[in-house]
Amino acid sequence: MSHQDEQVWVIWKTLKRWFHMLGSPPTFSRFARTVSPWLWAAFAICLVYGIYLALYVVPPDYQQSDTSRIMYIHVPSAWQAMLIYVIMAVLASIALIWRIRMTEIMAMSCAPIGAAFTLICLVTGSIWGRPMWGTWWEWDARLTSMLVLLFIYIGIMALYAAFDDRRKAARIASVLVLAGAVNIPIIHFSVEWWTTLHQGQTIRLLGESSLHSSMMPPLLWLTVAIKFMFGAALLDRSRNELLEQDQSKQWVQRELEGQFDARQQTRAADHA
Amino acid sequence: MAKTSPFLALLKRDIKLSIRRAGETLLPLFFLFAVVVLIPLGVGPGPNLLSLMAPGMIWVAALLASLLALDQLFRGDLDDGTLEQWFIGPSSGYAQLGARLISHWLISALPVIVFSPLAAIMLHLPLEALPVLILTLLIGTPALSLIGSLAAALTLTTRGAGGLLPILVFPMVVPLLIFATGAVSLAAEGTVSNPHLGLLLAFTILNLSLMPIAIRAALKMNLE
Amino acid sequence: MIPDFEYAAFVWSSYLVFALVMTWQVVQPMLRRRRIKKQLLEQFEEQQAARLMQNRNSQNQNFRENRI
Repeated sequence: MSHQDEQVWVIWKTLKRWFHMLGSPPTFSRFARTVSPWLWAAFAICLVYGIYLALYVVPPDYQQSDTSRIMYIHVPSAWQAMLIYVIMAVLASIALIWRIRMTEIMAMSCAPIGAAFTLICLVTGSIWGRPMWGTWWEWDARLTSMLVLLFIYIGIMALYAAFDDRRKAARIASVLVLAGAVNIPIIHFSVEWWTTLHQGQTIRLLGESSLHSSMMPPLLWLTVAIKFMFGAALLDRSRNELLEQDQSKQWVQRELEGQFDARQQTRAADHA
Repeated sequence: MAKTSPFLALLKRDIKLSIRRAGETLLPLFFLFAVVVLIPLGVGPGPNLLSLMAPGMIWVAALLASLLALDQLFRGDLDDGTLEQWFIGPSSGYAQLGARLISHWLISALPVIVFSPLAAIMLHLPLEALPVLILTLLIGTPALSLIGSLAAALTLTTRGAGGLLPILVFPMVVPLLIFATGAVSLAAEGTVSNPHLGLLLAFTILNLSLMPIAIRAALKMNLE
Repeated sequence: MIPDFEYAAFVWSSYLVFALVMTWQVVQPMLRRRRIKKQLLEQFEEQQAARLMQNRNSQNQNFRENRI
């Protein structure tokens, strides 16, 4: 083995060890608790700077005027909504194949965040459509497939909530996640096919070549901000789910013992 | 040795049962005609409007009709314990699952297909589009049954299963509806509808090959 | 430089929707964690009380047994 191969091997082993370590609930919980505040902070910084660029620095588009500013939140949200589905599908397949509990929980924690971004994408798209298309709802291919995506997210959340046994719920909902993963490209294609059949091209929120170079910085900053937000929210939600499921387990009590003692002391002081 | 295979035995039993419960079996058909009568009453009887809407209406009616009996698809077998026996021993369960899917299609889709020409004529669909309509129903309804069965299998042991079914089915039947009604509309305009039919067929084949695996997995997980 | 917002209402309402949904995404996990912690604290206190009672009972029992 050459030196480089050895290095790659070491990196691979380390990554694998981290993956296995994060599969253990106490480690994951501690990891999530330490990392998520930093991710939230990074989100806040990128968000503030990105919105400052989007609303004040970038000049209005020559075609769409100020409505193009909606794009800076619409497009990153749409990207993230789709990316979250991909991440959720990967986690769900790991959960189904290797039955790793943490991936089950994380896959299920993806759904509400994905639904939130899909909702943002739909509402901002609709608001943008009002001055551009003259209607609040246009049966545009992208908006329509986003609407279907929202229903898929809602279906996954509803199915996950409908079982008493949380692990069983996560595994069965994972099957639905994978069925959706196969169907989403087909749905997108069919809707595009349908709109070309029924109407001509409409103006696109993100036209093929209309992306001026001055529009890139806010788009990038907000995209990065949303990535941080997803990471933070995913860790927070997964940790909550984990704590709730493992309420009676030893590790939860051990992890929260310090906080409980502190609180009990303040209570005792109040009583005295 | 005249031992019948589980496939044929279950198929025979399901069909016999459905003949005995004729009232329940005819429900999808009744549903189709309820839609065919109610929508013209709602939108007005203009023949142009109706013939434009006919493909979509018949397909939406077929879709909703397929949802009717879905809640009960595996429930009886779950309650009396037969479902567990599907997966016991060397049996992979696919034979029984196939039989159940075929019987569901025969009971809920076939009557709708047989009576769809009548519905189409009542809705003023041009006669030359009629063969294409029947063809789309023949190709598309098996996929409809498969998607519905997956939803039924996923929600088998949930609290309040019935309410979840439409949410799970609706997104997955979007391509089906688009390709099928597209084909019929084009045929009604007198143009070639082969691309749509091809896509519809591809969608059904994809579902036929992948759905049984997902349905079986969902059923087994619900039994755990 | 603040440009004149020709379509201000549309832009602002879009950003408002974004802000609302993001706030909900931040607040919802926080509220849920607080609820879980409260629940856990109650559980924890109950357990401690139960342990205390158990100790006292067993002490009483020992006491009585020694006397007899």
